Amino acid sequence: MAMNDKAPTKLTGQTMQVVSFALGSEEYGVDIAQVQEINRMVTITHVPRAPHFMEGVINLRGQLIPIIDLRTRFGMPRTEHTKNTRIVVTEIGSKRVGMVVDSVSEVLRIPTEQIEDAPDMIAGVETEYIRGVGKMGDRLIIMLDLGRVISGSEKRDLETLETEAVSA
Amino acid sequence: MSADDFFDRTEFVQYFRDETEELLQSIDSDLLRLEGFVDSGNVDPEIVASLFRGLHTIKGSAGMLDFKEVQGVAHKLENVCDLLRKDRMPLSESCVNLLFEGRDILTALVHAAIDDGVAPEGVQSFMDRLDSFASVYETTAKVIEGTNLPEMSAEQHDETTPVEQHEIDAFEAEVARLLAAQASQSAPEPATASPALPLPATQAAAGIVDAAAAQAAIDALLAPEPAAKPAAPATPKPAAQAAPAAAVTQAPAPTSPTAPGKAPAGGKNLTIRVDIERLDMLLNLVGELVINRTRISDIANTLSRNVNDPNHHQDVVVPLAKDLADSSALLARTTNEIQESIMKVRMVPIGQVFDRFPRMVRDLAKARNKEIKLEIAGAETDLDKTIVDEVGEPLMHLVRNNIDHGIEEPDVRIARGKPRAGTIKLNAYHEGNQVIIEVQDDGGGIQLEKVRERGIKQGLITEADRLTDREIIELIFTPGFSTAEQVTDVSGRGVGMDVVKKNILRLKGVFDVDSVLGEGTKFTMKLPLTLAIIQALLVRVANELYSIPLDAVIESQRIDTSDVRTVHGGEVITLRGQVVPLIRVGEFFNLTKERDPDKVMIVIVGLQGRQVGLVVDSFQGEQEIVIKPLSDVIGRIPGISGATILGNGSISLIIDVHSLVASAYAGGKVARAEFSGV
Repeated sequence: MAMNDKAPTKLTGQTMQVVSFALGSEEYGVDIAQVQEINRMVTITHVPRAPHFMEGVINLRGQLIPIIDLRTRFGMPRTEHTKNTRIVVTEIGSKRVGMVVDSVSEVLRIPTEQIEDAPDMIAGVETEYIRGVGKMGDRLIIMLDLGRVISGSEKRDLETLETEAVSA
Repeated sequence: MSADDFFDRTEFVQYFRDETEELLQSIDSDLLRLEGFVDSGNVDPEIVASLFRGLHTIKGSAGMLDFKEVQGVAHKLENVCDLLRKDRMPLSESCVNLLFEGRDILTALVHAAIDDGVAPEGVQSFMDRLDSFASVYETTAKVIEGTNLPEMSAEQHDETTPVEQHEIDAFEAEVARLLAAQASQSAPEPATASPALPLPATQAAAGIVDAAAAQAAIDALLAPEPAAKPAAPATPKPAAQAAPAAAVTQAPAPTSPTAPGKAPAGGKNLTIRVDIERLDMLLNLVGELVINRTRISDIANTLSRNVNDPNHHQDVVVPLAKDLADSSALLARTTNEIQESIMKVRMVPIGQVFDRFPRMVRDLAKARNKEIKLEIAGAETDLDKTIVDEVGEPLMHLVRNNIDHGIEEPDVRIARGKPRAGTIKLNAYHEGNQVIIEVQDDGGGIQLEKVRERGIKQGLITEADRLTDREIIELIFTPGFSTAEQVTDVSGRGVGMDVVKKNILRLKGVFDVDSVLGEGTKFTMKLPLTLAIIQALLVRVANELYSIPLDAVIESQRIDTSDVRTVHGGEVITLRGQVVPLIRVGEFFNLTKERDPDKVMIVIVGLQGRQVGLVVDSFQGEQEIVIKPLSDVIGRIPGISGATILGNGSISLIIDVHSLVASAYAGGKVARAEFSGV
């Protein structure tokens, strides 16, 4: 899986298919191979004492899919869900995770040489989740490293939670 | 040697694992049967043939997968069986012991080969011993018959194992030594000394005399005994020394229990053998589903064609509605049956676990110089595959404890007016939605006072703690409760007992211990039949529906707020004279701080004799639910054990009663003593 994750950015002369979506004023992208489907908003069941960016779980045809609110994950202010709000269901390794995004734009083909390594800072988003920035004309697509999005500091959050649980 | 040479090598390895596991089990029972013939000296040729076949198959499969060591050991064991089969060797206890040991080494090697693990030590020396053992008889036969045994030597040479060269040296030394030994004692028995000879005599003796050391060794689930030094450097011993060594021939004690101990801990078997009838039934049901699907789509099509035509209301739409109702009823029936069938497919008889105990009891009883009968009942009881896989380890610890600490030595038993041989009973049966497994012995029972003293000594409790009998017994299952200094059988139980408790709780089971001093101990565990579907009580908390597994629910109550009192800052109620701590589920999950000023709805849940009242907003009835794990992306949430999908597609989280009860009782020992129920 690690191969799938990283390899396309290293190749040249090829294009990468990317599902792009909006979050605030920025445009993000994930490798289409990692996207399983895109759904309209459904009822999300809250999971108490889960990490704060975990919205909860949804029922996707009998399967429980945990949902991450990307705005919360990236420390952006939360907004009301609109008719454009989508759940992008991704599959990373054997893990399926849904991500709440403001809207989904389109599928882009980005030549791999147009994808640059993550710059040191991008407003609003911690660079640890970013795997590169794709350029399409004057558009900048922030390519997400999904593995990091779903793990990363969440471990720390969980540990804090458990300590609280013990002391409570 | 992993996924390199063949694309689907893993599939072969999986098949090898399944097949070999079965064969090793059957070899085990063959050996146990064979052992019954030792006294008479006659061999049932059918048993030997079966042994031979089993070993031969393992050898062949291992050869295909290039597991050289497995192949080598299987081959040499086969040689020994061949001698038996051809009547070139009398059946002796030492021979059976050697085969038992070989079976264990083979098991360890198979596990090592499959999991790319480290091969156990001492394989080489064991192979040497096998060779020398076999060679004695071959030589004898040669001398007696004056024949050349051409087929044996041919067979020995065509399968060249990497150890061959090394063997020869050891081999020759052994032969010389054993022949000397044999010369001094006319019976074939001296040859049996060979397994023990390579050990320094004192060490071998220690292995059997010092029970504590042996226990420690077993506990470590040891990789083969380091004491078994390669045979090669052994300086030929005078025949006189062979005799005392022969007395400790059973000394493989530290090594032989390895396999039964290791089997459950080793690689999990992820496949299942299914009765073809069960699959056929499933297939039929799926066939019905498919037919029904066609029917429903027909109805949908007809309906959509006529939906805007009011004229056809009576003659088209009304019959369609009836058809749809029929189809839906059929669908309901079929899906129910499919659900039942698929659960049955997952069910396997618990005998798969019980089967390994005759051997383990035999070995341990010998090592402890006890006489023990094992009685097994209910081996055909079906339960979910995952539970069968998990239950082996706790059962093993329990049985081992019965042998170590429960059953007394024969002399003691006679002095107490009991039959010389102790009895351990393993029993399994269904009771409602649960399966009950009992492990019972007629030994000395648990000495509560001793357990309490030990608990105090080890700092688990203090002198001041007032504990119920049940709580004292539970001390045994505490991780810190060690048996480090136990030398006699008075010290109470404890070897690996924390594992027992942990595993049973993980399986959502409960356990109970009945012990009568001097009469024996009965350990009962109740496990759910399956982990996938349970009955649950639905409750509403802060506008979310939560499920509480019904097997933990004792009752639900609606009581006045004024009846809630506080003890040590925690809320409690008194229920029929018993103090029950309360947990407000909404607050536990940080959902709400709202409280009904007049009434509280309480679900009383109980586990292991401890009760807790869960305060909820309302009760929403019972339902059968399918348990689904929460994604590991979310991680472990305290108080939540999973989730389920309700009829309307919404999700209900399942409350983890174990962790809630534990958190209610975690508030210090005083509180625990005060709250302790029953």
